[in-house]
Amino acid sequence: MQTILVVDDELGAIEVVATALEDEGYRVLTAANGRHGLEKLAEGQVDLAVIDFMMPLMDGAALGRAMKEDPALRNIPIIMMSAVGESLVRERFSGYTAFLRKPFRISALIDTVRRVLG
Amino acid sequence: MTQLDDGVPALGRLPSGIAGLDDILRGGFLEGGVYIIQGAPGAGKTVLANEICFRHAAAGGRAGYVTLLAEMHTRLLQHLRPMAFFDESVIPDSLYYVSAFHTLEGDGLKGLIDVLRREIKGQRANLLVVDGLVAAQESAPSDRDFKKFIHELQAHASASGCTVLLLTSGALRTISPEHTMVDGVLELEDQLFEFRTERSLLIRKFRGSGFLRGRHSFRITDDGVKFFPRVEALFASTSRPQVLSDAKIAVGIPGIDKMLLGGLPAATTTGLIGASGIGKTTIGLHFLSASSAAEPGLMFGFFETPERLCVKAKHQDLHVTAAVERGDVEMLWQPQRENVLDELAHRLLEAVRRRKVKRLFIDGLGGFLESAISPQRVSRFFSCLTNELRALGVTTIFTMEVPEITGPVIRVPATGLSPLLENLIFLRFVERGSSLHRLVSVHKVRDSGHDPSLREFFITDRGVHVGEMFSGVEGVTTGVAREPASAAASPQPPTTPDV
Repeated sequence: MQTILVVDDELGAIEVVATALEDEGYRVLTAANGRHGLEKLAEGQVDLAVIDFMMPLMDGAALGRAMKEDPALRNIPIIMMSAVGESLVRERFSGYTAFLRKPFRISALIDTVRRVLG
Repeated sequence: MTQLDDGVPALGRLPSGIAGLDDILRGGFLEGGVYIIQGAPGAGKTVLANEICFRHAAAGGRAGYVTLLAEMHTRLLQHLRPMAFFDESVIPDSLYYVSAFHTLEGDGLKGLIDVLRREIKGQRANLLVVDGLVAAQESAPSDRDFKKFIHELQAHASASGCTVLLLTSGALRTISPEHTMVDGVLELEDQLFEFRTERSLLIRKFRGSGFLRGRHSFRITDDGVKFFPRVEALFASTSRPQVLSDAKIAVGIPGIDKMLLGGLPAATTTGLIGASGIGKTTIGLHFLSASSAAEPGLMFGFFETPERLCVKAKHQDLHVTAAVERGDVEMLWQPQRENVLDELAHRLLEAVRRRKVKRLFIDGLGGFLESAISPQRVSRFFSCLTNELRALGVTTIFTMEVPEITGPVIRVPATGLSPLLENLIFLRFVERGSSLHRLVSVHKVRDSGHDPSLREFFITDRGVHVGEMFSGVEGVTTGVAREPASAAASPQPPTTPDV
């Protein structure tokens, strides 16, 4: 079973994304900010990180950069989510594999996750 | 930051950037202050706070928006996107949205203050909005803990010069501990008045600065939030001293100007009172058609569209259209809908200031009266509005429609207004024989003599013409003229003007 880490400060968003991924048979871990997300990543094998861009304490761009700087995490693919346009996100961090503009349909999420995980 | 006399630096201001609000706040919020914005759901707190953030970012500032509610930012941004102030390019560098709901749930107020402190520091924010203060209050173990949270937040805000706006839907008119601690309390309401609603702001408290007291109306449209400071509060003193002059401004109708001994005294307000159809608007069009580059004119009307007025003027050989095309006259039409009284006044004054208007024709008073939710305001409202117009050097004519077509009594449509008008001109229909005649009389003129006679006037295809005194009859002011018994055998009809 593949494991996906979902990092988002909005409880509603986490619940929707996590439930949808669990329904598809994935194991899902959740975190409310980038710092919490790094702790979860350190705990064990994560196959994909779905990360919100704007979060308190450590935002999505900072989390992405931290992952790329850590040899143990740098190969984990990232799907970045944001309510703002991709060009604004890319200015801060471009090391993600796919981008989802919020709000998105569950089908778009599932399609993107499947494509990224191959 | 300016220096006070004792060398202590005065607190700087953080302008809200919202039209009208900075007038009410006398320049904006104080830097490093903590303010509560409270109101029931739907009162406009979130839109207001977001617009303040976007305006702040547009002006080069940095802002953070922290929600304590389960509401999704995605949804919030979707709702804001159609509004004119929304500019995605300022997100996230100058405006940052985060949720601290998880933190509050997991770590309580201590965790929350840590997040807020880090957001202020990390984002270098000089404006922070905390949306959903009620959630923080509910998670506080005691009032004492909540007060401690507010106190710590104040300390961080003050030390970092970051202005904090706390949004809460907490019950209005309840005094909570946080109200006593914060620097200001702004209360938003959306009140129902029978069928219509009107939004209003009341500043309950504002430390360290004067502000405009009482309720002020506001609107939320796709352009954002716009406040209309209450005219009586904003213009309790006029924006500039009035300069008295002996100059006269011609109405543009020779017969009436002759009755006024040369025209209306400049920078005064005139009531043109009469029944429907008697010719008030036509006289106003004469007044406007005498506008020039040196005396720009403004038509502020509620009833007839500019196009219709131009056609009407053309039929009477008045060159209003040409004056509009030259830029000597502007016509502002206010469709009769649910207007806000102060919004009308601000729109009027903005148009006056923009073109340095000297001739103002308002058609008519009824449009203002119908917009007034509180009739008891009307007299003070007009007193302040007309004072400001005088201070701006504007000569104003208001039409005032009376309900009676003929009759012995002329009722001014609102009590307390006549004393505010320096000049009064009455227009009345008088029945004589089997026809109605139009009469004009000058009732009063400020500091000037005038011809007090009743004169007949005629509306022709060359405009208004004033005839001779309406003599040879009596009972004119009753509305029905009759021949004096002694002269019944030889009636004297009014003289037809030389057209």
